[in-house]
Amino acid sequence: MAENRYVIGIDLGTTNCAVAWADATDAPDALTLPRVESFAIPQLVNPGEVRDEPLLPSSLYLPDGKDFPEGTLQLPWGGDPSHVVGVLAQKRGVERSNRLVSSAKSWLSHSSVDRTSALLPINAPEGTPKVSPVEASRRYLEHIRKAWDQAHPDAPFEQQQVLVTVPASFDAVARELTQRAAAEAGYGPVTLLEEPQAAFYAWLEKHPDWRERVKVGDLILVVDIGGGTTDFTLIAVTEKGGELQLERVAVGDHILLGGDNVDLALARVVEQQLAAKNTKLDMMQFHALWQQARVGKEKLLDEESTAEEHPVTILGRGTGLVGGTIKSQLKREDVLRTVLDGFVPQVSSHDMPARQRRAALQEIGLPYASDAAITRQLARFLRQQAAQVEHGSVRRTGSGMAAPTHVLFNGGVLRARMIRERLMDVLNSWLAEEQMSAAEPLLGEDLMQAVSRGAAYYGLARRGRGVRIRGGVPRTYYVGIETAMPAIPGMAPPMKALTVVPFGMEEGTSHVFPDREFGLWVGEPAEFRFFTSSSRKNDDAGMYLEEWKPDELDELAPIEVNLSGDTGEVVRVTLESHVNETGVLELYCVAKDGRRWKLEFNVRERVG
Amino acid sequence: MNRISLAFRSFFAILFGGALPEDIAKAFGFAKPTPPPPPPPPAPVIKTSDGALQILGILQRDARLVDFLMEDISAYSDDQVGAAVRSLHEQCRATLDRYVKLTPVIDGVEGTYAKADASAGKNAVKFVGNVPSGPPPKGGTLRHRGWKAQRVELPALAAKQDVNIVAPAEIEIE
Repeated sequence: MAENRYVIGIDLGTTNCAVAWADATDAPDALTLPRVESFAIPQLVNPGEVRDEPLLPSSLYLPDGKDFPEGTLQLPWGGDPSHVVGVLAQKRGVERSNRLVSSAKSWLSHSSVDRTSALLPINAPEGTPKVSPVEASRRYLEHIRKAWDQAHPDAPFEQQQVLVTVPASFDAVARELTQRAAAEAGYGPVTLLEEPQAAFYAWLEKHPDWRERVKVGDLILVVDIGGGTTDFTLIAVTEKGGELQLERVAVGDHILLGGDNVDLALARVVEQQLAAKNTKLDMMQFHALWQQARVGKEKLLDEESTAEEHPVTILGRGTGLVGGTIKSQLKREDVLRTVLDGFVPQVSSHDMPARQRRAALQEIGLPYASDAAITRQLARFLRQQAAQVEHGSVRRTGSGMAAPTHVLFNGGVLRARMIRERLMDVLNSWLAEEQMSAAEPLLGEDLMQAVSRGAAYYGLARRGRGVRIRGGVPRTYYVGIETAMPAIPGMAPPMKALTVVPFGMEEGTSHVFPDREFGLWVGEPAEFRFFTSSSRKNDDAGMYLEEWKPDELDELAPIEVNLSGDTGEVVRVTLESHVNETGVLELYCVAKDGRRWKLEFNVRERVG
Repeated sequence: MNRISLAFRSFFAILFGGALPEDIAKAFGFAKPTPPPPPPPPAPVIKTSDGALQILGILQRDARLVDFLMEDISAYSDDQVGAAVRSLHEQCRATLDRYVKLTPVIDGVEGTYAKADASAGKNAVKFVGNVPSGPPPKGGTLRHRGWKAQRVELPALAAKQDVNIVAPAEIEIE
């Protein structure tokens, strides 16, 4: 009875997780949409104290015996003293950072490391336990499952319909690793959904009259600036048989740049002002400053604030609280300069992001965005990535730039009104230059919960209880094939790329490539090089690429297959690509006699 | 004990029950006295001071109230004290809100007439000024609304937690 009754949407965020749910049976008729509710997540907030919080910080702390008194890590569903997840992990992690795992999600999409090996926390000293990015994600997902089971003993989590959101820019490997983390966390089958789409679904849920708010030919730009990542997506409004349809037509690259960068930059400004007065902050004080920078930024940039500065107070560290208090101000002009000019500067639509990495934004390991200017990243998205969309439905300017009619914002940073306004101003100045009408902002809802709520809505939509955005695979995928040529010493044989997954390939469809056969040895692993492109969108399945521009194709982790059977046999196989119902890409080797072997990503080795 | 009744009780108990009644068996030395049941384990000692120390510890942890109260602030300017108090006050209040929900005893406007609700409890209202002898007055000018703890939600203490430690000493390894 309780099976599949609930739809559970999980926003597995870089810095915070959120959960929303809907009871699919809770509607008087088929036309009424069940209500979507947010799920408060019980978690340790202090040693020995469990509380329900709207968000679960994506922080994993690996305590040793000295960290917490015995028995104070108990959760309502029992306790595992080797891991702490949530608010307490975040708190204690500030004090002892080399046992804190954070931003695990950014590592999931980082192709130059083995994402299944225990490498986090990256700065942990020798002898400290470490976990893999997959394992960290599993811990958050497992916490959510157990919290759900605790609250709904009659409706076990693994029997419900579960949706997990991922950045639109996650490639096939990162998506599969997310699925693996969910499976290891005891989840049943999960459906992945792209975050910007989820944000748009949340808007649809809030506006059942959406058909009166947009019309055919409109183009909606979703700007999703989370704690650690920025994601752009374009959704076109099309028509089929007199019905309005929504189609996701373009997805941006993975940009590791988010709200935390903004707050950190502001904290650095204040820190430098203090340093000029010979006041030095220790790690804990800097962290307090970081938190206050976030509050100050929101106060100064929000609503009709006319304050010229926001007081910043950092209390003394020892027992001398008043005597050690450090006072400073976050000045409006500094905020405007740092945030508006640094992160959302007024640029031309021809300005492309700088290539080289900026030291100020880097932390060891993660490939942070080289250019902090979100507006330049947007220019690149609208000009390069979105301009090559095959669909005629995309509205464009004379010079070929995609021209949105509406903008939907998502993410905590965008609570600051002036940042939203600056983004609108910049976009509209580009449109005005080419005599296009201005785009309008779509008013969203709670910017922190929208993604999980949208995911729950999408779960209902999959059951036919709401509108679905058509999209398919947001990238093109290729398998590298070495061309048969006499070997030249010192030179790799030239390579062609076979398009195995065309852009927009829909869920539940397959492609076969009968004209290219491979002879594979049974019992020996065979490896294929694997590439993806977010800008080439017109390559049909089966098409060979002889050459391409260096930045058009990105190499992913290789895929490998190990044919089972009698060793020594050579089997002639062809490739088959398949996108399953949950949006996961699968590749198979198929023999003439019908035997099939699945190709797996090999994330163990370093790529490139 | 009456011999006849003892004899009859023994006879019928053995005839129908197959055993001597316990008290008789004990009295004639046929059974060893069973030891008295062990006393129930002592209830965990909760001293009244535990809760007080715990809330003090929480206010220190979240808002550093004890640091502030214990500091000699006479040397510092009002500005300096004010800056520290502003953030401390905000935190203290949030913490109190969370663990001890406080509401006014009489939710009226101070300085205006208020009725003294007899059902509010014995020590809920204190009369000051020209109080007549005899039954308590029905009302008067509200000078202070009073505070009442609506609910207290302190987390359970861990078995080995020493509540006397209001704040641990901190040692940083550099």
